Amino acid sequence: MKKVKRNVAILISSSDDDEDFSVKSNFTHTKSKAKSVMTSVPRKNPKRAKTALLSASCPRPSKKGSVFDEMKRFCEEFDDDFTGIKVSAGLQSNNDMWIDKHKPHNLEELAVQKKKVEEVKTWFEERLEAAMDGLSNVLLVAGPSGVGKTATIHAIASNLGVKIWEWTTPTPTVWPEHLHNSNSGLKYMSKLDEFEAFVERVRKYGLTSPTLKGSQASVILLVDDLPVVNVRAAYGRIQRCLTLLVQLVRIPTAIVITNYDKDDSADFSTRCWEELLLSLHSAGACKVNFNPVTVNSIKKTLTAISRKEQREVGADSIDLIAKASGGDIRQAINSLQYLCLKPHRRPILSSKERLDNASCLDDVFCLPFGKDENLSLFHALGKFLHNKRESEHTIASDRDTFLLKEKFVRFPLKMDAPEVILCQAHGQATTLSDFLHENVLDFLSEDAIDDAWLVASYLSDANFLLSSLSGHLSRDFGAQNIIQSAAASVAARGVLFGNAHPVPSRWHAIRRPKLWEVEQSSRRNKRQMFNQRDDLPNSLTTYSQIVMATEFRPSLKWLGCRASESFQADDMVEEDSDSTCLHENKLDLSDDEIEDW
Amino acid sequence: MLWVDKYRPKTLDKVIVHQDVAQNLRKLVSEGDCPHFLFYGPSGSGKKTLIMALLRQIFGPSADKVKVENKIWKVDAGTRTIDVELTTLSSTHHVELNPSDAGFQDRYVVQEIIKEMAKNRPIDTKGKKGFKVLVLNEVDKLSREAQHSLRRTMEKYSASCRLILCSNSSSKVTEAVRSRCLNVRINAPMEEEIVSVLEFIAIKEGLQFPQGFAARIVEKSNRNLRRAVLTFESCRVQQYPFTNNQTIPPMDWEQYVSEIASDIMKEQSPKRLFEVRGKLYELLTNCIPPEIILKRLLFELLKKLDSELKHEVSNWAAHYEHRMRLGQKAIFHLEAFVAKFMSIYKSFLISTFG
Repeated sequence: MKKVKRNVAILISSSDDDEDFSVKSNFTHTKSKAKSVMTSVPRKNPKRAKTALLSASCPRPSKKGSVFDEMKRFCEEFDDDFTGIKVSAGLQSNNDMWIDKHKPHNLEELAVQKKKVEEVKTWFEERLEAAMDGLSNVLLVAGPSGVGKTATIHAIASNLGVKIWEWTTPTPTVWPEHLHNSNSGLKYMSKLDEFEAFVERVRKYGLTSPTLKGSQASVILLVDDLPVVNVRAAYGRIQRCLTLLVQLVRIPTAIVITNYDKDDSADFSTRCWEELLLSLHSAGACKVNFNPVTVNSIKKTLTAISRKEQREVGADSIDLIAKASGGDIRQAINSLQYLCLKPHRRPILSSKERLDNASCLDDVFCLPFGKDENLSLFHALGKFLHNKRESEHTIASDRDTFLLKEKFVRFPLKMDAPEVILCQAHGQATTLSDFLHENVLDFLSEDAIDDAWLVASYLSDANFLLSSLSGHLSRDFGAQNIIQSAAASVAARGVLFGNAHPVPSRWHAIRRPKLWEVEQSSRRNKRQMFNQRDDLPNSLTTYSQIVMATEFRPSLKWLGCRASESFQADDMVEEDSDSTCLHENKLDLSDDEIEDW
Repeated sequence: MLWVDKYRPKTLDKVIVHQDVAQNLRKLVSEGDCPHFLFYGPSGSGKKTLIMALLRQIFGPSADKVKVENKIWKVDAGTRTIDVELTTLSSTHHVELNPSDAGFQDRYVVQEIIKEMAKNRPIDTKGKKGFKVLVLNEVDKLSREAQHSLRRTMEKYSASCRLILCSNSSSKVTEAVRSRCLNVRINAPMEEEIVSVLEFIAIKEGLQFPQGFAARIVEKSNRNLRRAVLTFESCRVQQYPFTNNQTIPPMDWEQYVSEIASDIMKEQSPKRLFEVRGKLYELLTNCIPPEIILKRLLFELLKKLDSELKHEVSNWAAHYEHRMRLGQKAIFHLEAFVAKFMSIYKSFLISTFG
């Protein structure tokens, strides 16, 4: 019973993914036609999207008639486009999706680098032939999404003629169900709990499931879908349990780990996964890194698929798709299918022109497929700090209806609007302003102290905006968001505007804000000071922190720290350990440098 | 024991500065009348000393037996409980604490402690219920919410509990709280008074100092009695017997600020601004409050400045001090001030000297 349920679950999830994408591509395509509607389209399954749209427009149909019509048109179009893809509720394998239909079945069809495939294959062969003692039976397959990690393993398995036994995430418990269960005495198990139990079972008993009949040797275990963890404790649990698995499992096991957003190294969860990979690797697991699929092999695959489907797709469209996919072959195939749905509606060649004509605000969206570009924080910072501008006013004459004073005039930017960049870099306003503050002075020219003041005053404004967050607005998330983005925008634009005489670009390393260290050590000092205050012998009263810092500590220094000798010693130790860990952090981050471009 | 603590007058009779205030307080207490108090005045003027002496006047010597406790208060804040760690100093009759150490959770602390004190009030020898005294330091640093909750609790528990508030400036204490207290203003002691205190200490310690030596210390101390005594003790450690050409050891951070000021005056460029930032960081690391840094920096800059710029520079300093109070990260605003000063000063130099 449970088994069946699980199968269902996978299918739902996978088809969800695909739908998700299709909706999105549709959405971006129609964007060019009906811009005003787009903003409210939720990226969910099409049916829900439709109802949401309709209901949203219902209250004021008369007033916003045109919008309503547009929405309707959009929805119809939406449905039209989707007649090609039957949205089955996930009861069977959905072969209408090309991504499933043209799944690689043998090694030749794989678009992955031959060397990598070979590497994985030999690994499996070795492990399957003889149980190796002393060597771990776990293979880590890491790489960005959609580069064919899972597909490679499946293809290899079928090539070697072994069965794959896969960990599949059980159905999520919905709230009413949980309520129902708790009445009947069933305890709630999180996904992590179940995963742990599964690993435990595999470790102890191997695969003794009655459904698997063949000999033990011809089975490989695939863990594709690791539970999501967010908290450090949960992360520790998953690390422990995987390490045990690495050390003790007896059947060949492949663990697939997807590196999300590699560039966003400030993110906690990304760092976690990296750490996890490292620790598993050091525990003896073998590791294979998959790179994004090359444009050429994507093109080859796409051509092969379009030939099989007997569709005429121009070579340049395929070229565009392959380039836009960013090495994500799943994305590329989905795009291709979408493109083939309505070939007549899709004058792909003109999209290039559209790219040129599009106004600067939505040129990110004008390709109907492809991933939106993500910028790393450092990339964005580099853009702001280097402040690349045109050397002369190109469009000034006809556009400037009102004249600005000489000192407010700047040459046009050689980049997107700062807000667009901020969006792409999805940086926190606080982090951004800290980084800008730390680094901006390097980019000012030698004697432009006025510029320095201008920049500093804008950063001060940004900080002021950010601090109003901590007050009474803390519960109003909408307002908080607006203020956040306003502050980020003020900081970024302030830096761009203030730096009126940017230095000719040269190479600069972007430093990590020293402010963070200062804050940390000031907090430590404060704690130390409190201890010191409590240790002041026989004082009848407590001194305030200011008095301690400005009067007592300096005097105590002169007095040879008589009062504080005893605990200075153990503070020293603490400080030492702290400083080393700070140092490590610094080493970590010094890699994040940008080059001049 | 530091001299500041050693020679702190224990009773209202023995105080050297503010004798008039002490007399009044004694009269007030001897009549059995004890209102809430608000002591305010600049740092180092003797507020704490007076408060301690006052407590002793009310409760007798047992008020001196204090113990320091680092207590964790469990505060019930509606949906969750918050742990607030705070150091308190208490005797059987009073509790002293710095609620502003608890940061933004200060209002819970104030309410909770007063409630707790009111619950177990002491019974004095005559069998009637006495009152406890709560000494709150740095009331001006309490958040507005905390001050409001203070007002309410003050009224509710006034039968069992007296408050003695202590702050540097009365203007940052809300009107409502001020009107419920007896306000006692403690001026910064006059220079002659400080000299007499130093002489008193010298006699007790058996020290001699040359003519005008005490006056030099006092001059450096900026009419801050505590500072004068601390400096005096440092001088003692530095060199004894005292000589007239002995340098008075300055507070290290003040020296540092004046270095920053001369850096700023020497060169005005982004590069120099960056160096200044490093030095400001150094000060902040040592927990020198940014407002004090800004004030001191302005003071040092004004000393060297042409009088026609003084007005503008002070104006900007005030602007950024306000910003600093509103904002979170002081360095942004401090640096903006320095940059503005550099910009003003540079254009002034160019226009004057070409």
